Amino acid sequence: MIVAEQKSLEEIKKLVGNAKKVLVAGCGTCVTVCFAGGSREAAIVSAELRMSTKLAGDPKEVADVTVQRQCEWEYLDEIAEQVQGVDVVLSLGCGVGVQAIAEHFPNVWVVPGLNTKFMGLPTEQGVWAERCAACGDCILGLTGGICPIARCSKSLLNGPCGGSLDGHCEINAEVPCGWQLIYDRLKSMGKLEVLMEIQAPKNWRTSRDGGPRKIVREDLRLVSEEK
Amino acid sequence: MEYLQSLLKEIGLEPERARMFNLSAAMAGKFVEAAKEMTEKVTELGPNPLKSKMKDER
Ligand code: SF4
Ligand code: SF4
Repeated sequence: MIVAEQKSLEEIKKLVGNAKKVLVAGCGTCVTVCFAGGSREAAIVSAELRMSTKLAGDPKEVADVTVQRQCEWEYLDEIAEQVQGVDVVLSLGCGVGVQAIAEHFPNVWVVPGLNTKFMGLPTEQGVWAERCAACGDCILGLTGGICPIARCSKSLLNGPCGGSLDGHCEINAEVPCGWQLIYDRLKSMGKLEVLMEIQAPKNWRTSRDGGPRKIVREDLRLVSEEK
Repeated sequence: MEYLQSLLKEIGLEPERARMFNLSAAMAGKFVEAAKEMTEKVTELGPNPLKSKMKDER
């Protein structure tokens, strides 16, 4: 899932600026389960905004609404009226949600209430960790199901580097060395021979380096028939 | 509770305005104590500034 973190109230207030009517828009999927931007958080942020702006002598009209997913037009259509009736929408969706609102409602000013962090998972209650960097050409099959792109600080393909110490990465003793994890797992599975194959440099064009990415599935498109 | 107090602080209100006491229905004495303690605390802090702002608007 996509993991995000709320911006400080200070920054949110700056982003909202002198708008009088604010709609805090929560998202019911990824950011709900990481406790950053679901309906509960949307209600809390809108109460915070209402109270603090009132204390500052500049009261704002703040409402909140949460959709199942901000990243799909169908769900955004449900809140079209509310979105269009305010001066600013504070989106508590990930960066995709914010942009979906901007794209779907060209006349609406939308600002982000979250910092979108990474794709990862909760490793224990209250802790989330990065697992995939969406490189576009998955090599988990070569590394025993542990991603060297996302979990090695240097995204090495033939690790570890010389900075690996007692299972930790040299950037920070709190960070497990991704390549140690890979080695340990392959060893426990009796598959260490996998590491004997030297990996050629990765083609990063499938990642962000190749520019904005897009997938087109002609078999699924509705417009393709009309062409 | 800590989270709620941090929210109050961020908004600009005294975090001591909210507290949690762990009591059972049978602990009358403790309840009175807690109520007294909170009454004293909020009297000391004075009225909620948000409420007086609301009155100003009227
Ligand atoms: S190899 Fe690429 S796609 Fe696979 S988990 Fe790592 S970053 Fe994600
Ligand atoms: S210590 Fe391990 S995780 Fe850190 S950069 Fe080197 S190989 Fe990667």
